[in-house]
Order: sequence, then structure tokens, then C-alpha cells
Amino acid sequence: MTGTVMITDADSDSGIALVRRFASDTGANFILCGNPGGERMQAALSACRSAGVRTMATDASLCSPAAVDAVLQEALERLGPVTVLIHNRRCAAPIRVEDGEEAAFLRMLDAHAKSAFVCTQAVGRQMAEAGTGSIVFASSIHAEKPTGSSFAYSVSQGAIKMLAKEAALTLGRSGVRVNTIEMGPVEGDDERFRSDVATQYRDYRFKVPNAELGSWEDLAACALFLASSEARYVNGADLRLDGGFVLHYLDHKMKRGQQHREG
Amino acid sequence: MTDLSGRIALVTGAGTGIGKGIAIELAACGAKVAIHYNSSDAGAKDTEARIRALGGECMLVQADVSRKQEIDRMAEQVIERFGGIDILVNNAALQMNIGLFEYDESAYDQLMHVNLKGYWQCMQAVIPSMKARGKGRIVIISSVHSKRPTDFDPVYAMTKGGMRMLCRESALELARYNITVNAVEPGAVDVGKKSGKPRDIIPDEVAGEAVTKPRDVLLRKFPMGRIGLPQDVGQLVCYLSSDASDFMTGSAIRLDGASMLF
Repeated sequence: MTGTVMITDADSDSGIALVRRFASDTGANFILCGNPGGERMQAALSACRSAGVRTMATDASLCSPAAVDAVLQEALERLGPVTVLIHNRRCAAPIRVEDGEEAAFLRMLDAHAKSAFVCTQAVGRQMAEAGTGSIVFASSIHAEKPTGSSFAYSVSQGAIKMLAKEAALTLGRSGVRVNTIEMGPVEGDDERFRSDVATQYRDYRFKVPNAELGSWEDLAACALFLASSEARYVNGADLRLDGGFVLHYLDHKMKRGQQHREG
Repeated sequence: MTDLSGRIALVTGAGTGIGKGIAIELAACGAKVAIHYNSSDAGAKDTEARIRALGGECMLVQADVSRKQEIDRMAEQVIERFGGIDILVNNAALQMNIGLFEYDESAYDQLMHVNLKGYWQCMQAVIPSMKARGKGRIVIISSVHSKRPTDFDPVYAMTKGGMRMLCRESALELARYNITVNAVEPGAVDVGKKSGKPRDIIPDEVAGEAVTKPRDVLLRKFPMGRIGLPQDVGQLVCYLSSDASDFMTGSAIRLDGASMLF
């Protein structure tokens, strides 16, 4: 894989895992979106340095079409055209339907759905002109499954899911593929999505049939596949990456360890 | 026929098309209907006249549903006049028919603010009355495009994808108040009786064909040989608003004459 890979929130845990995997397995350059001066960005940058590839870190607002265009223009001159976009953002915060504040709702909607749209529009235009490219949305099972704790988060993921399908049609005609990964539970999601109306994260580890949670490395491996030519016929797909978590039903046959059975 | 006598319904976007059909069907089942409109005042008056002709009780209420303040004022007016709200039908939504590359930021924001923020804040505005009355019915008029892309308006489909999750989240959250939330997902609907061509659901070039082409041509896209009518949607909304649907919540019902199976 050559060209330039653009990764949003590259300085998050999931972003760093994505950067590490793509840097080690591809010869691509990187646009790393996040806080360029932050400590965590250094981890992402150092993975790129070890791989000997060129990078550009930016804190441009991904909800601003002008700012994203400027990033792409600079990257075009310094790194070459973007061949892979990984939209990777997850900022779930508690918000209820009944009493949520408008500003919090819009913040969440913009952080996820609007940034996804703005990036897809700008990068998609460049990719369509080049006649090739791959866009991957690192979304969540909450594009289908309600959280019971952060309705604005799942509303945003539902919107991204449809953006991916629309873009798969529009950009698909120009040789660009667009797919979604619906990431399932990772360590800490029971706290992240703590709910007084939904029980899905109770015993969440054991609702995964093999009783193992996913990791950001799993996400990175899946994104790498979707971005590669191995996935040339995968377009407009929602790849649920959750070990079978959302299939749990009545929870009467969960694979529990001995200590849990006794507990 | 479904009996909704004594129930009070607020239907947004009831001056035109699907909303008009819903308001009339609810009134035909005995509900008192608040007819919301924003700029379609002539259309809203027509809905009012039709309901009165049925012997129904109704009122008009104007609001821009992209503004919370106006939504709250609308709910207050309905509660003041009718004494409460039992049924909310979220129907007032925009469709721009703009392609992926043609969208600008203001069009994007406008669609999100009306279709998603507006639907949510209309729910917020009626929840207190429904809680006080011990039950409630919320119906989200979505679209087949909550699952199937449009290929003509990506942001419209994004809002419908968001509505899918708004329905599921609110069904979970509001179950404890005995408030149900369900979505109706219509396909192409003939909403343009006056102009002779449907609008809102499909782009003009497809819509014209759906109304004017002979049945055998229609059958290539619509297995029932026709597109939907506002009253098709209205009758389903009446069921979802009635006691008969007491155990149904968080559901989305595709209402498209099987056209999405092609």
C-alpha cells in the first residue's frame, strides 16, 4: 500500500494502534489528526519514524470544510494524495433523550457525524479524481444497538452508517471503496456506557461467546484489510467486529471461568 | 376502525403530504389533532378544513422545529388548548436532493437541525405531559433510507440513519414511563396531488415516472403496482397510536409495498 493514510484522532488509544499497524505493514505516509504537541501524538509519530515514513500532524478542525481542504492541500504538496482515510473517533458521553442539553447533543453529533461528512466530502473528491482510494469508518456496534446511556452517540453512529452507504455508491463509481467497522466491546466499555436502562454491558466479557474482549489491535487489523487491495470487492459493508457480542440471547450459556462461576 | 377518541395528537409537518394524511386519519379515528406547520399555512388550513368536514376537532400551531424555543411554545399551546398530549407524530423533515459534493456546511447543518435535533426536541417537549398522563405514543416518520441509501441526498439518509437510533434509544429510555416509540419507514409516497407529482421521498425524475407510467412499468420498481399514499402511512400511525400496539416499542416498520425487496 502506497500513498498517504489519513487517520483522525491518531493520538487516541485506537488511533495509536491504527498508526502502528499501518506504519509497520505499509510504506504509506501519514496525516495524523489530533494534538500535534501532545505526548500521545509522540507515540504515533515515533511509530512512523521507526518505519521511516513521512508524516504531518495537524489539529485542524475536522468539522470545517476549509480547514480540511487546507490540510489536504498541504499534504498533497508534502506527502502526496490521500489513498486511505480512516475516520476514527469515539467520544461517548452520557446524555439522555429526556433531559439532554442541546449544546451537548450538537457537540456529539458534530464530533462524529459532521467530521465524518466533511472528511468524506473533501477526501472523497480527491480520491474520485484519482480513481482510487479506500475510506474506513471505525464506528461502533452502537450504530445498531442502543446504548441506553448516550443517545447522541448512537444517533451519530447511525448517521455515519448511512453516510458510508451513500458514499459507497457515489464514490464507488469512481473506484473508491467505503466501508464501516462496527467495533464491539473493549475493556472499559461497561463504564463508558454505564446505563440505568440497558443491561447489555452487564457481564459483557462473557456475552462474547469466547469470553474475550476485543482490542484496538483487532480494529487496526480489520481496517488494514479493508484499506488493502485484498478487499477490492468489499464496498458499502458494515463489518461487525465484536466476537459475536451482539448475538447474545438470554445469556444462559455464557462461557464463564471457574472463578466467575463460583463468584 | 381504531378508536382514538379522547386522545390528543400533535402531528408535525401536517400541512402537506404524509403529515396531512396522518392528521386526517388520526382525526377520523376520533383523536383531537394539533396540526403543526412552519411555512405551509395554506396547506395546514386545508388539513384543518378536511378534519372539520369529518366532524373532528383540531387546532393549528406554527413553529420552526429547528428552534427549541418554538418547539416548546408549540407544545405549550397544544397543552393549553387540549389539556395534554398523548400522541406525537414526528414528521416535519427536510430533504434537499443535493449530491455529496454539492452540499455546503449550512445545508448540512440545516438538515441535521430540523430532521434530527428537531425530532428529538419535539420528543423532549411532550415527554412531561405524557409522563403526567401515565402513557404516551411517539411515532417517528422515517424512511426506507434509514437503511437503504438514496443515491441523491447523502445527508438526508444520514438523518434517517440517526432517526433509526433515536427511535431505539428513546424506546429503551422512555419504556419506564409507559411511552412507546416506533418508526414508520415509508418508501415512495404520492404526496403531490396538487402539482401532479410526488415530492419529498424520491427525486423528480423517478417520481414523475412513478405517477405517470403505466402499471407494467411501475411494476419494475413497485411490486404492488403503485406507490404509497399518505393515508397508507396514516393508518399505520393510527395503529401505533392505539392501545392495540401496547407492547410494540423500538420497532421500525417498512411501509413500501415491498419495493425495497428489489
